[in-house]
Amino acid sequence: HVTEDTPGLLHHVKFQSQNFESILMWDSGPTSPPDTVYSVEYKTYGQRQWLAKAGCQQTTRKSCNLTMETGNLTELYYARVTALSPGGRSATKMTDRFSPLYHTTIKPPDVTCVPKVRSIQMMVHPMPTPILGEDGHQLTLEKIFQDLFYRLELQVNRTYQMHLEGTQREYEFVGLTPDTEFIGVTTISVPTWSKESAPYVCRVRTLPDRTWT
Amino acid sequence: FGPCQVKGVVLSELWKAFWAVKNTVQAQDNITSIRLLKPEVLPNISDAESCFVAHALLKFYLNVVFKNYYNKRVEFKILKSLSTLANNFILIISKLQPSQENEMFAIKESAHRRFLLFQRAFKQLDIEAALAKAFGEMDILLTWMEKFYHQL
Repeated sequence: HVTEDTPGLLHHVKFQSQNFESILMWDSGPTSPPDTVYSVEYKTYGQRQWLAKAGCQQTTRKSCNLTMETGNLTELYYARVTALSPGGRSATKMTDRFSPLYHTTIKPPDVTCVPKVRSIQMMVHPMPTPILGEDGHQLTLEKIFQDLFYRLELQVNRTYQMHLEGTQREYEFVGLTPDTEFIGVTTISVPTWSKESAPYVCRVRTLPDRTWT
Repeated sequence: FGPCQVKGVVLSELWKAFWAVKNTVQAQDNITSIRLLKPEVLPNISDAESCFVAHALLKFYLNVVFKNYYNKRVEFKILKSLSTLANNFILIISKLQPSQENEMFAIKESAHRRFLLFQRAFKQLDIEAALAKAFGEMDILLTWMEKFYHQL
């Protein structure tokens, strides 16, 4: 979308969002002087008024955190950046319609891998988001995405892997060889929104078997 | 949807069909200050009312939005998504049987008022702008439908 544009001052105005941490980003154009300043405005889709984002006015930075301003998951948003060069040239560009639910990507899960003699426990920790529920508490990803589940894989060797999946947080791969190294891979999946996180990988060695045989 | 049950619809298929054309269609809607599916139309609908509202909205999308879009010269990609969405809407509507009993009259009236809010906003726009806006707001409609979808 282009509202008014001096060619080459402003490019790629878009949101980047991870676990609902939503950052507006943009690039300066090939002809924009280094001391060009930028001002950010945002609004809810359907509202007339653009609101200036405090802290992102007349800035030389090329990003602005709009997490709190885009925190209502039932709403859609727009943001726009106005670039002003010292010579008085200006350009304004708007984002596509931003839907936090649609656009956010999922970070790798936070997992603790605990080796035992013949098993490995994997505990997935809750992932709070900046989104507040009606009770004012931070919502977790699991609360927001009802069909979210975890997919775990234990690479035993080049050709053999073990798989577990579910919505609970604790998993255990059993029947393993003591004193052996394994690679654990955990990803988060949200089928309805076709989202999948990058994997969390842990390299872990089962404990030696010290029992007398 | 409250008293109405719909089986055999895979909502993620509808999502994928819409996502394929979301940016294209939403970019055709330059009126960022008007929203057809306003907060007063959808959120906080009682279960009982949801069947009536869903029935009315889906029928409107079929008979007005999708139908008119078919007559426009649009990219094949959009037509492909349109037919997936339209076919699923036909299936859903065929299964949505809003109750016609007398005691549901008040609920039906409330649902109809909500639908009129949407329809009035649609009619206030030029037809081309209204079609692009309605199609672009499918994500709002699907997000709302999903709440009931998961309650089965």
